[in-house]
Amino acid sequence: MIVTEKQQLKMLSSAEMQLLHEGSCSLLSRVGVKVTHAGIAALLLASGAQCKGDRIMLPQDMVKNALAQSARIIQFEAPDPAYSFTVNGPENQVKFGTGGQALYVVQRTSNGWVRKSAGTDDLKQIIVLCNQLKQVDFITRPVECDLPDEQKDVAKAAVFRRYCSKPINLANLVKLARLAEVLEIIGNRAHLSFIISLVSSPLVMDSSAGDKFVAIVQKDIPVAISSCPQGGSTAPFSEVGELLQLNAELLFGFVLANVVRPGAKVLYRGIPITANLYSDASPRWCQPDSIRRVALAAQLCRFYNLPCCGTAGVSDQAVPSAQGISEKVLSWVYEAACGGQYINSALGMLEQVMSVSYYQYVIDDIALGIVKEKFSKAQSLAISQLALSAALEVLGCFGIEPDEKMEAELSARIRHIENGLEPYNETYIEDQLAVIEKAVNKSSSTVFMKAARKGLREGYLYKGARLDASLDLAAVAERLESSEGLGT
Amino acid sequence: MNKDELLEKLEHSVVMGHLDADDEGYDGSMEGTPGTLELLEQALEAGIEPQKLIESFRVAMEKVGNLFASEEYNLADMLASAECVGEAMEIIESKLQVGNSSNKGKFLIATVEGDLHDIGKNIVATMLKGAGYQVKDLGINVPAQAIMQEIREFKPDFVGLSALLTSTMIEMEHVVRLIKEDSFPDLKLFIGGAPTSQAFADKIGADHYCRDVMDAMNKLEQVSNVS
Ligand code: B12
Repeated sequence: MIVTEKQQLKMLSSAEMQLLHEGSCSLLSRVGVKVTHAGIAALLLASGAQCKGDRIMLPQDMVKNALAQSARIIQFEAPDPAYSFTVNGPENQVKFGTGGQALYVVQRTSNGWVRKSAGTDDLKQIIVLCNQLKQVDFITRPVECDLPDEQKDVAKAAVFRRYCSKPINLANLVKLARLAEVLEIIGNRAHLSFIISLVSSPLVMDSSAGDKFVAIVQKDIPVAISSCPQGGSTAPFSEVGELLQLNAELLFGFVLANVVRPGAKVLYRGIPITANLYSDASPRWCQPDSIRRVALAAQLCRFYNLPCCGTAGVSDQAVPSAQGISEKVLSWVYEAACGGQYINSALGMLEQVMSVSYYQYVIDDIALGIVKEKFSKAQSLAISQLALSAALEVLGCFGIEPDEKMEAELSARIRHIENGLEPYNETYIEDQLAVIEKAVNKSSSTVFMKAARKGLREGYLYKGARLDASLDLAAVAERLESSEGLGT
Repeated sequence: MNKDELLEKLEHSVVMGHLDADDEGYDGSMEGTPGTLELLEQALEAGIEPQKLIESFRVAMEKVGNLFASEEYNLADMLASAECVGEAMEIIESKLQVGNSSNKGKFLIATVEGDLHDIGKNIVATMLKGAGYQVKDLGINVPAQAIMQEIREFKPDFVGLSALLTSTMIEMEHVVRLIKEDSFPDLKLFIGGAPTSQAFADKIGADHYCRDVMDAMNKLEQVSNVS
């Protein structure tokens, strides 16, 4: 899918992004990242970093060099060459894929939806299904094999090798020691990419992820550097503060990658979501506040012209529903319009990455098809109109006739996504940096929670009504039944 | 200010989650005014007995719990109040050397080895401190041996383990087995984290599975009342 120049949505100005960039650099040079991995610390120190205790500070020059060196173009080849594609930092081509590591599969039974544990057989079936779904451009591991950790990587690689014809993203590597076998099984390593969650928020490098990251970069295999802070628990509740911290965490990854291998094939994957501080601090993946923040992270990535691994369509709903579908549509639209290029977790996901569902894959395939068509046909529409009309059309596709109330709810969600509530200026940024520094020093997520009280009162977390209407899934059931090689 | 007024103010500052003069408090307007820590200092200077202070914290947290249940308070408000109590208790204990002044018991909590998730664990730890338990938080990625050593040294009444990954649930099982083997007959084991369940707790021999922080508080109160 192509997003035209005119459709590209700039929710932040270049000057605002420059301020964020400088704030993140100041965080990296003043507060730094906690690195307890002696080898990686030594490597960074030898390349110009400084240290204070176990915190590694990066001078702005190191960030600048890494940004200049890092690969702009990344090739994703596929076992079936017809599916190969390229992600090019400065271009607006968008690809969608699966994702997850879900714990459960949600199945339809005569008693309604039931949740069962996911395992190797689901991995196989989902790949077989997604090979056939038109809107799935690449396949990121949706569920893990239900095997001991030692066997997971090899078993997963074998399933992908046997069944996957699209570009393969294995997501995480469970055991570094298995990497060589994994590469051997996959055969052509150009088919392969990974995701590594290198830095835990706030600003702590995960040593075991560090080892895996370095090994993958050394082998010149594409890897998305991922950070998924939650505003209000592992990052400031403020969107400005969360973006500052997220960007610093990802830039740290870019520096390390380019120290290990100049020109490293790394993608920027920022998922700054919010924590539900109204109730239980559970992550909000697809509510307007999170959709906005994740889209802003994509915009920030493209500000650097870096290859952007987006995330969209992770519904917060436990089972397929009208609410879930509309969350997904808004999330895809804004992630694509703001710069997402290689968009993960876009299909099949439910319940905040906890579950996937065969039905949801097919629903999402149909819905995403409509969204793509809107982008290509309705080029004169503002993104807010495009999002609304796509959501209404998709709901109609599943037998729902949206009424005025639904339309008003969708419009309110769109307004929350497009309209920021915070200032982007130097004083405010300094305040946010101070909150992050305090949390880092206290090393407890409750610092961010307590500091969230003001933002909660100011409405940072969108509060709206659920879209309630039952779905007509007859066509989905039919498509599932006619899919080849599915044993469900 | 007489003693009763002071106690009343202290209780109010806890309800408002107003930690100290630097803190903005519940409604964002309290910065610059004395908070729980300053009022506590005044109360100690005025010679108010620790038991009275602890009682006023209990009353305050009961109010906060009700406000949360009626959705007038959100999680951030409730945690802010709990933190006021947690910090105040530490001061009372260290200044007056009264040891575990609340006599609610000692709770050792940790995220097991291999697991870096701590958001839920931190919420539980903060709330338990606020409820008057003496909490020791060992942090994340804690090896089984370190937990065992701390059980011997800290001598907790309760041990809480958190795991968010299916792979680290196995580690949880391992820790529970070590604890059982070492036989601490009165120790009650609590587990929590997204992939765990009552069935899993039963399987590994943990006493209680807790779905969330409120579930944990309720189960703990029940256990404490029985023992
Ligand atoms: C936030 C998060 C992270 C953050 C953690 C930040 C932090 N400081 O904790 C980061 C980004 C670092 C992270 C990393 C990873 N994560 Co993670 N993460 C999550 C996420 C989105 C939310 C967890 C959370 O905080 N929930 C909110 C809190 C408040 O809820 P809670 O933890 O359940 O706690 C409550 C109760 O469970 C209970 N409770 C919890 N513990 C205890 C303990 C006691 C004693 C008691 C009484 C009660 C109790 O009370 C709490 C309060 O109400 C979940 C998905 C999800 N929706 O749950 C994935 C998830 C847990 N992560 C997952 C994965 C895979 C990972 C990574 C491996 C990713 C990677 N590829 O590298 C790494 C692993 C790192 C490691 N070694 O641990 C998977 C696990 C899947 C599986 N099969 O095991 C999940 C389910 C997401 C997914 N589907 O992909 N993650």
